[in-house]
Amino acid sequence: MTATTRPAQSGDPPEASARVPLLRLENIEKWFGTVYALRGVTLSIYPGEVVGLIGDNGAGKSTLIKIVSGVLPQTRGSISWKGQPVRITSVKTARGLGIETVYQDRAVVGNLSVAQNIFMGREPVKRLGFLQRVDKAKMRLEAERLARDLELNIPSPDQQVRFCSGGEMQGVAISRAMHFRASLVILDEPTTALAVSGVHRVLNFIRRLRDEDIACLFVTHNLHDVHAVADRFVIMHQGTVIAKRAKKDVTVEQLTSLQLAGTGSGEKKHDATR
Amino acid sequence: MSDKVARSSTATRIQVGVLDNLIWVITLALFAIFSLTIPHFFTGKNIQFMFYDAAAIGMLVFAEAIALISGNLDLSVARNSGLTAMFVGMLLTRWVPGIPGWAGIILMPAVGGMLGAINGFFVGRVKLDPFLVTLSTFLMFDWTTYVINKGAIINLAPALVFPGGEKLFGIFFAIVVLFAVFGVMHFVLEQTRFGGYIRAIGGNAEAAGMNGINVPWMNFWVFTLAGTLAGVAALLYTGYLESIPSTIASGDAIFLAFAGAIIGGVSLHGGEGSIVGAFGGVLLLGVIDTGTAMTNVDPAVRGVINGAILLLAILIDRFRVTLRDRLLLPSRATRASPPAEERPRP
Repeated sequence: MTATTRPAQSGDPPEASARVPLLRLENIEKWFGTVYALRGVTLSIYPGEVVGLIGDNGAGKSTLIKIVSGVLPQTRGSISWKGQPVRITSVKTARGLGIETVYQDRAVVGNLSVAQNIFMGREPVKRLGFLQRVDKAKMRLEAERLARDLELNIPSPDQQVRFCSGGEMQGVAISRAMHFRASLVILDEPTTALAVSGVHRVLNFIRRLRDEDIACLFVTHNLHDVHAVADRFVIMHQGTVIAKRAKKDVTVEQLTSLQLAGTGSGEKKHDATR
Repeated sequence: MSDKVARSSTATRIQVGVLDNLIWVITLALFAIFSLTIPHFFTGKNIQFMFYDAAAIGMLVFAEAIALISGNLDLSVARNSGLTAMFVGMLLTRWVPGIPGWAGIILMPAVGGMLGAINGFFVGRVKLDPFLVTLSTFLMFDWTTYVINKGAIINLAPALVFPGGEKLFGIFFAIVVLFAVFGVMHFVLEQTRFGGYIRAIGGNAEAAGMNGINVPWMNFWVFTLAGTLAGVAALLYTGYLESIPSTIASGDAIFLAFAGAIIGGVSLHGGEGSIVGAFGGVLLLGVIDTGTAMTNVDPAVRGVINGAILLLAILIDRFRVTLRDRLLLPSRATRASPPAEERPRP
């Protein structure tokens, strides 16, 4: 692996102060009326690293990624991108910065082809007099290359996505990030609905993203899957970050108890088994 | 859409090709049967009349096809035509007689487009259900036609009657319009970003939105486009009838618009269908209409036949889709045998 280029990370990497984080969230708060979903969330993601964002249901993971991907605005707190303060007001702004979000298999249109799905919303065009015509040949060629690259088992870029498996649908979504050269890919529960073979496939996609120096925020409550690929873990509980750990400092078992730590009952249960 | 099967076997490709163009097979078969059994059916004159007869309803079928492919539906297109024709007719002959007749050729598509934009506003911007919105506008368009004039306008300017009623070099100009609109709509749907987005929002609006497609805007333009086509239909009806009665484009017209699109393989669930298929549906309606007219079948019976053929077409289409999916399933065509849990979801 390319560990040599990566900072030695524990909670927040010690050498991190010398490097500019790709994304820095500072004291993010999100209130829905009088109920808070996030409180004082501070988090940095460095170029090319895979960060596992874990926590139980209701921890605030989904709200946090919605803020980063431009679906929801934060109530308070600041976001900076490559050291510059930014306001992410829409999905388009997020994409413009280079943030792509992969929502399991929910962001593909089943009756469109693999090629059409990869380029949806950003199709290459050819001029035809005063008309603009979608450059299908280019899309097809590029989709074929991306599919081969990601080892998607797709016979043709013209195949409708509805014939793909769940893992392949995520592959299609990840191809978007690779083609449009995203710097940060957010994966929302990417392995939850998949069979074992699909999980392997998605974990391989994430390794590919890392090899391309694309940072990854892997959001999940499945600790085994995330432990296999993440460099660093951020554990959330009830809207706050309760722990940050580098992979080398933590085992899946320790992550499990951290994830359960906030819930008093979980801790006791864990102790009781000893 | 045979390009969806680039690398499967030749046999599969031919089978899928036949299934994708099943409407044309049916249309040609019925045409052949009528040609053999009905005297004087297979003549140049009659064939031209068949196309001519199908031109106005063809505009409505294309309008409905676009609405359906975008995941919407438009109950108001036919009465949009009626109101548009009556409004422009009154404008030219009674309200502002100074406007030249040819101006109607531009005014009709424009007025139709504006009426369609009303649907587009409520579906796209206000996010109301398209069925309810177009049901309301259907009623409003329908009765407004009678509010502004009960009866027929007959003293129309020759220029206004020309596109729908006259011949140019021996061919009805309406047929030229039919083919031109077919070509433009096919290009828009298959070759442009706009067309791709129509299909995308029809297939999965949520996913389309996640990919930066402005779904409300797309809905607005889809209904505006459908309304514009209804305006072109108004022009063709006006020429066909050489008058504008209050009953123009009423009755079966809206149902035939749906029938033509659905027979042509356009899915009621959005996303699926093509303009080529819808065009086949238009011609099937034309063949049935001229065939039954020439055998002096009671018009009431012709209506029943139309309904029965629609039901039959829907049955055939369901069978077609099932068969097509089975042929295209990649696990059969190219994969050895994927693990059971990796099998594509329906």
